[in-house]
Amino acid sequence: MKTDLEMVRLAFRAEATELLANLERDFLVLEDSGPGGAEGVLRSIHTLKGNALLMGFPEASEVAHTVEDLLARISQRAIPVTPAVVTLLLQGVDALRLQIGLSPTGEGRERLDVNELRRRLKQAASAGASPEPSPERDGGPSSERPPEAAAHAAPERTLRVGLDRLDRMLDLTGEIAIARGRLTAMLEKAGSYSAEQLLEAHREADHLYLDLQELVLRARMVPIGRAFQPFARTLHDLCAATGKLVRLELSGEEVEVDTTVVDLIRDPLTHLIRNAVDHGIELPSVRKQRGKNYLGTLRLRAFHDAGSIVVEVADDGAGLDRERIRERARALGLLGPNEERQDAELFQLIFVPGFSTAERITKLSGRGIGMDVVKANIEALRGTIAIESTAGAGTTFRMRLPLMLSIIEGFSVGVGEETYVLPLQSVLECVELPREEPRQGRTGVLGLRGQPLPWLRLREHFGVEGPAPERESVVVIHHGRGQAGLVVDTLFGQGQTVVKPLSKLFQHVPGVSGSAILGTGRVALILDVPTLFEKALRLPAPRLPEAPSPTDSP
Amino acid sequence: MSQPTAVSLTQYLSFFIAGEEYAIGILQVREIIEYETVTRVPSAPPWIRGVTNLRGSVLPVVDLAMKFGLPPSTINRRSCIVVVEVSFQGEKLVMGVLADAVGQVLDLGPGDVEPVPAFGTSVQADYLAGMGRAGKKFILLLDIDRVLSGQELRATSVVVP
Repeated sequence: MKTDLEMVRLAFRAEATELLANLERDFLVLEDSGPGGAEGVLRSIHTLKGNALLMGFPEASEVAHTVEDLLARISQRAIPVTPAVVTLLLQGVDALRLQIGLSPTGEGRERLDVNELRRRLKQAASAGASPEPSPERDGGPSSERPPEAAAHAAPERTLRVGLDRLDRMLDLTGEIAIARGRLTAMLEKAGSYSAEQLLEAHREADHLYLDLQELVLRARMVPIGRAFQPFARTLHDLCAATGKLVRLELSGEEVEVDTTVVDLIRDPLTHLIRNAVDHGIELPSVRKQRGKNYLGTLRLRAFHDAGSIVVEVADDGAGLDRERIRERARALGLLGPNEERQDAELFQLIFVPGFSTAERITKLSGRGIGMDVVKANIEALRGTIAIESTAGAGTTFRMRLPLMLSIIEGFSVGVGEETYVLPLQSVLECVELPREEPRQGRTGVLGLRGQPLPWLRLREHFGVEGPAPERESVVVIHHGRGQAGLVVDTLFGQGQTVVKPLSKLFQHVPGVSGSAILGTGRVALILDVPTLFEKALRLPAPRLPEAPSPTDSP
Repeated sequence: MSQPTAVSLTQYLSFFIAGEEYAIGILQVREIIEYETVTRVPSAPPWIRGVTNLRGSVLPVVDLAMKFGLPPSTINRRSCIVVVEVSFQGEKLVMGVLADAVGQVLDLGPGDVEPVPAFGTSVQADYLAGMGRAGKKFILLLDIDRVLSGQELRATSVVVP
């Protein structure tokens, strides 16, 4: 059980997180909005100051106070809004985050000592007026560290849900209670009802369960704008560090995605944005020479497309260097000396770990790490990433993610005692394994309507025990590089599957993306088709998978 | 980890694996459940037995016998799963430890725990937190975080292709 105080702390942290994010956003546009913009911000910082003091963060409250002073001077039009002032205010936000025990979003190198920051804030605030006589109000060095608990407590994963949504859920649970009661009453006197009547009552209740499921799933959906918001700040810092000028264009911030997407897409986006600014967009002078607008543009876009969500990061920079990528791929042995690839395939190579064409390593990027992380994160969300690039005109990274993460249309197959679930979207058709095909062996090729279809026998690939059945079936599957068949014992058919994440223990297990609980109470694994085949294709054909120990399966 | 400060006694839960009695600090034990069918996860390290359904969430089950280099545990009538909480890469992770049988709850004072001898124990000395004195015999006190530590898990799961 959490104590009341802990609950209050959590609420405070949640509120502070939001307030600080809003402050950051407002500070970034302060240059455009002018002194008028500062007035609105004053209220937020004042709230924060009061709350911080109340919650036992006197240092944070002090910083908030100095920030407030500076803002007040701005709104009185005593100080002009200069980039330096904005940077100072942003550093103030970071300092506040740090003191409240949240992680700062700014790029690390600019962070200042708190006392130094406070001094500078004060100095800036007094710049336009008569200099303040006392240099420091409380001269004591910052012996007071923020309370340990606040700094180290693992942040609880929380989500704000609209009260109306919760109310609808509550209404529905009420209805379900009634339906359940009715069903129980009917079943107790089952003799006096016909089977149809009972089934009808059950269906009515079932309808309500499904509605509730839908509502709960919807509650997990949040606007993707929450993931985009911090990047205005990232870009500001990146521009300051590289001397480039980049404008950020956001669209589709209101598109709703699963809350996990917002969490997991942040890192890939950060990498892509850093890369775009560091390698993509040219310096203003270079851009002018090339006849482009000196101001670079970075577009972050989200939209719905055919049952999935597409997130795009597009820059109008130099584009990917096809030649360099090809050279590097050859040097790494990823490409044969005379091998040619289509652009789309060639560009995918930059996601290979250790692949970097950057001539210089900067603070921001170019170490060859990152792009593989981008791909891994996107695949963890069961998504794909594609690159489009035109030399001289820019690069677009297009990430396609499933709409719902917690539920999928699944197709269940049986192998021995085990049940596996395949995402239905990748299943094309099912055929019987032709009699002339070998009953043994991990892989093979069969002819399907005159086309060769490579197949993988799941039983042997996974080392499932027990005798193979008389007849086996082939599930024809569409994966990244074409079609392939999965040879299984039985086909159970399709159904909605609630995805349960596998424990972190299994994060390196290829071919498995999650699990689902079957009607029998057993756990079934959800197969990740692309990585399953990728692994199967990489393994030499005659080699058997890891020899299963005789007692491996229960 | 909160240690009882007022009383210097620490409670341990003991269980049997391959005839040997081991114990874990009771604060790390969440519950003990009956053995349920475990679904094998292909390509996972062999000492990870698989996953099972714990009231709607998916629980990984490990076979410590294999971790200790012994033959895999066989399931018997008294087999059970001890659900423990371990730290994994800085996060709390819940997993099940397969046990041949559950033993007892031990109250051990500081004087009852002896340091681990350099050799002679049935498992690697660094998996042990100490030797608990229970009557005439000693019970091996497992440092379960260490046994299932992130480093170990990562290393083991990466080598498996």
